[in-house]
Amino acid sequence: MRREPVGAVLVLGGGVSGMRAAVDLAEAGLRVYLVENRPWLGGRVAQLGYMFPTHDCVLCRGTSDHGYGCTRPSISPAFMDHNVHPNIEILTNTDLINLAGYAGDFTVTLRHRPTYVNAQRCINCGLCEGVCPVPLPSPFQVGMSARKAVYKMAPRALPDTYVVDKVPRCETCRRCETVCPTGAINLEEEEIERDLQVSAIILSLGYALSDPTEYEELGFGRFPNVIHSMQYERLASRSGPTEGVVMRPSDGKLPERIAWLQCVGSRDEKHPYCSSICCMYATKEAMLAKERTGNVHCQIFMMDERAFNKEFNAYYQQAQEEFGVEYTRCRISMVLEDPETHDLILRYPDEEGNFVEGRFDMVVLSVGALPPDGSRDLARLLGIELNPYGFCQTDKFAPLETSRPGIYVCGTFSSPKEIAETILDAAGAAGDVMRLLSDQVGERAFGREYPFLAEPGTLPPERDVDGEEPRIGVFVCRCYPSIAGIVDTDAVAEFAAGLPGVVHVETTDYACLEEGQALIKQTIEAQNLNRLVVAACSHRTHESLFQRIAREVGLNPYLVEVANIREHCAWSHMDDPRGATRTAKELVRLSVARAGLAEPVHRQAIEPTRGALVIGGGVSGMTAALNIADAGYDVMLVERQPGLGGNLQHIYYVVEGDNPQRLLRDLVNRVLGHQRIDVLTSSEVVSHEGSVGAFRSTVRTPGGEIPIEHGVTIVATGGQECRDEVYLLGQDERVVTSLDLEDIITHRPQQIENLKEVVFIQCVRPPGGVKYCSRTCCTNTMKNAARIKLLNPNCRVVVLYKDIITYGFREQYYTEARQRGVLFVRYDEEHMPQVRVDDEGELEVVAWEPSLKQEIVMHPGLLALSMAIQPSEGTERLAHILDVPLSSEGFFLESHLKMRPMDFAREGIFLCGMAHYPRFIEECITNAQAAAGRAITILATPKMYIGGVVSVVDQSKCVGCLTCVRTCPFDIPEVRYEDVGVGEIKGAAWIDPALCTGCGTCTGECPAKAIQLTAYRDDQILRLPLGAWGERVLS
Amino acid sequence: MADSFEPKIVAFLCNWCAYTGADLAGTSRIQYPPNVRIIRLMCSGSVDSTYVLKPLLDGADGVLIGGCHPGDCHYQSGNYKARRRVVALKEILKSAGYDEDRVWLRWISASEGQLFAQTVTEMTNAIKEKGPNPMRQKWAV
Repeated sequence: MRREPVGAVLVLGGGVSGMRAAVDLAEAGLRVYLVENRPWLGGRVAQLGYMFPTHDCVLCRGTSDHGYGCTRPSISPAFMDHNVHPNIEILTNTDLINLAGYAGDFTVTLRHRPTYVNAQRCINCGLCEGVCPVPLPSPFQVGMSARKAVYKMAPRALPDTYVVDKVPRCETCRRCETVCPTGAINLEEEEIERDLQVSAIILSLGYALSDPTEYEELGFGRFPNVIHSMQYERLASRSGPTEGVVMRPSDGKLPERIAWLQCVGSRDEKHPYCSSICCMYATKEAMLAKERTGNVHCQIFMMDERAFNKEFNAYYQQAQEEFGVEYTRCRISMVLEDPETHDLILRYPDEEGNFVEGRFDMVVLSVGALPPDGSRDLARLLGIELNPYGFCQTDKFAPLETSRPGIYVCGTFSSPKEIAETILDAAGAAGDVMRLLSDQVGERAFGREYPFLAEPGTLPPERDVDGEEPRIGVFVCRCYPSIAGIVDTDAVAEFAAGLPGVVHVETTDYACLEEGQALIKQTIEAQNLNRLVVAACSHRTHESLFQRIAREVGLNPYLVEVANIREHCAWSHMDDPRGATRTAKELVRLSVARAGLAEPVHRQAIEPTRGALVIGGGVSGMTAALNIADAGYDVMLVERQPGLGGNLQHIYYVVEGDNPQRLLRDLVNRVLGHQRIDVLTSSEVVSHEGSVGAFRSTVRTPGGEIPIEHGVTIVATGGQECRDEVYLLGQDERVVTSLDLEDIITHRPQQIENLKEVVFIQCVRPPGGVKYCSRTCCTNTMKNAARIKLLNPNCRVVVLYKDIITYGFREQYYTEARQRGVLFVRYDEEHMPQVRVDDEGELEVVAWEPSLKQEIVMHPGLLALSMAIQPSEGTERLAHILDVPLSSEGFFLESHLKMRPMDFAREGIFLCGMAHYPRFIEECITNAQAAAGRAITILATPKMYIGGVVSVVDQSKCVGCLTCVRTCPFDIPEVRYEDVGVGEIKGAAWIDPALCTGCGTCTGECPAKAIQLTAYRDDQILRLPLGAWGERVLS
Repeated sequence: MADSFEPKIVAFLCNWCAYTGADLAGTSRIQYPPNVRIIRLMCSGSVDSTYVLKPLLDGADGVLIGGCHPGDCHYQSGNYKARRRVVALKEILKSAGYDEDRVWLRWISASEGQLFAQTVTEMTNAIKEKGPNPMRQKWAV
């Protein structure tokens, strides 16, 4: 019998992509089962200390190496341990073992392998690890340090719990079980199987590292100082085995010369694809080494430098020019070792092409990406196809769908890719699922009224404490032995009892466990408390839990204060119990002082306008519009040109063989026929105001200006091929651009048949302008060169290039072009190709052949220039209208290069397609679906909440000095003429609570002290330090 | 008396980096002297000059401000604002004849538990050497 689809999705793989997809689905009101086969979430990214090209510490950007993640609304807020999104169920240490049914009604069978630790009762005291006698290599540190059989991946993991990796010895030892103070460990726990009904499945399985021992000649495993790149990442990470100090494995010496060998497990016979990430991570690793020890020599041996994404080329330049990282074009075929010193010896050509020997202290193998372990079996079980490389097979124009309907794919399982693109994939797959489950989208959606997440309707009405004297209750958590083993908690409690406003003090064994929570709730009610202080552990892990407990018995969450006497006290002063107890008392005193001044904070609810404005009607804009409309929301699509299609109108074939014109027709027909999409062509957005959920815009159409209201905005204004006059372009008709050539090949192929020679020049950038890689040109050249060879096999085809950037599986087209006889000649800045018309009127191209070390002269019948792709005209004007920034390249600049590539910092505005950066059609589609998915999370929200912890201006004190306007990192404050400031002067500052991010920077700067940050008011903070100094200060 | 001097240091740490770094010092059980009282703020950029001056006037022996590394600020540039303000404040303290080295501004990321502990240890030792805040004598706490 056919069952109704349920609004539930299985996400398989809990790395960064699975987490991102899960959050977006949950926010859109769908139920998510996030299944991970390891004991913790975070995947590969959790092992990385730094990201390129931002060098952020990844930890606060939303991964679980350090658990908390950052609450930039990136991927992490729903993954704080005590604040998991109510729509997400995390199932770690779990495998999928069976699948039945079809899209809309799958039944999956999951098998949960026991971890032997009850995550709900684990308090992370670490006693079990202390008594465990079984050391094992740590997989998290890539075997470079040891862990016990009972262990945690990293100090902060997610779920935040220890697990037992049961070995035979555990049966008789059982020390961990005995020592656990909360009885969380049960070595008898058994495997559980469970069936779930879901409507769709997203695969985010990640990737495996290629095995460097396969390349015996490179010495990995034989020479101690040859390591692979993931080992280097751990060594360079602050949370790594050496706390960020890179040392030689053989003798612990700081290396003075490090070599990176690229393409280990990529671009060779066995792995004939490019892993896409290694060039950049090697650059990052070299820069990190340089940053740490300035005089270290870093040399990267590579074939092409593939810096093909936003800001990457600038990063690559910076590595060379500022940091002095050396790049050598050579594929090293053998590594030798000096057995005395364990130094490594490489042979490579120097700048003149003569072979030299180089001695290095350390060699890092940049290992490539392989399909994830076990994916072949899983693919069979799921009934999905894999591509020839073993990655998930997808269709060019449906890049997030597997071959089986209802099963989607994201991240590196479909092709090797970096974090930003993984995030785009994940958000895109979530967006794709939202259109499949359009009837269920929004079913379980709710807004963020409080700092914690709770299902709507589950909380009692809030108690009004206005005008009441503070009745503060203090709970001192013993958390034995973590706190009470060091701090004299009874003395702390006794001390707390004497503090002003405190009416009740209690010690509790474990405040966070069920029984502790119940005690706190009962006491709040029985003692009629109106303020709560919990002296326990970190705000970052447990504040939201205690806020929720208080709210569950009617107290506003902002009336709760936490004193961190575990991480900041007991654990940091274990050898000084007296000092620790003194610190604990003072921390409690601070919290009590602050609680006494705490006031309830409420956020203002608004209902979002349930419609989207999409700017730009190319492949990205149309895809985004269709995705949103299919999910059940209205879309206004604005296109400047008279017709839809954008650049896609001029693309007639693609290297993979699919037909882009069919995609174009299909998209245009569906957009024009969709009842939820209104299309305005020959129209432009001329104004854009308001904030997320409540934007108001004006569109200028041929019939006049139209005002529209919308909840979200998507920018899909695309890019355009540069047509500046270089190399005789525009002066000689034999000189054409890549798009022109495509037009000739498609519409006038006979022109090709008569040619003897065609020359391509790659990376044609107008002087003084573009300095970035346009990403698509190399592959386009491969497709055009192959077509020319097909039409006219005798035509000589020469490609003049700087770096061939056929990343991912596109490498095969480079290989194919070479097999067809296309010639490739590298040029560099010192040897730019020269183009002129000679005396006979022939086109003459002169290039330098580096291996022959001589000039070559060509007389092509056609010269095709791979021109840079630039932001489309008017981008700057639109950025101004939307009040969003542009990148150094002139494209729109997103909120965060890696973690939020489709979001603007200005909430509710999203970005996709070539307006972000040049990209391929399939990437535009993914990106558009990602933007659409993110937009739907807002459109599906019943109520949005604004305000809360934000800066508030007391206009009666404001002198209108503009300091806040200049100080705000986000340009939120404005001085409004209609507002009245101090002394009745016209013009006072106003801060939109819907936009303020609550950093408080303006409050620190305001000379009139007219601005206060809610819940962090000056009177609260200034009171705090006083609390720490002595009785008399408080009196 | 001098031997038993225990400096009292007030630390204003930003929620995203420094506070979390201090947490990591704890979870990693890295030890440092119990002379610091941590106050969590959202951003180092919100540290008003008075937040530093008031504790010093009231007898704190030192004030530590911890923020994200340059470029890493959760609020993009709050830490730069903090830096600007602290530099100016130190100049003012100096001109008033007050030892400006009792005020420290440090960048500590969420993954630098070790650095946090080290910073507190160094600061405690430095202030022990300086002796009690002269303002404090009038309190005789």
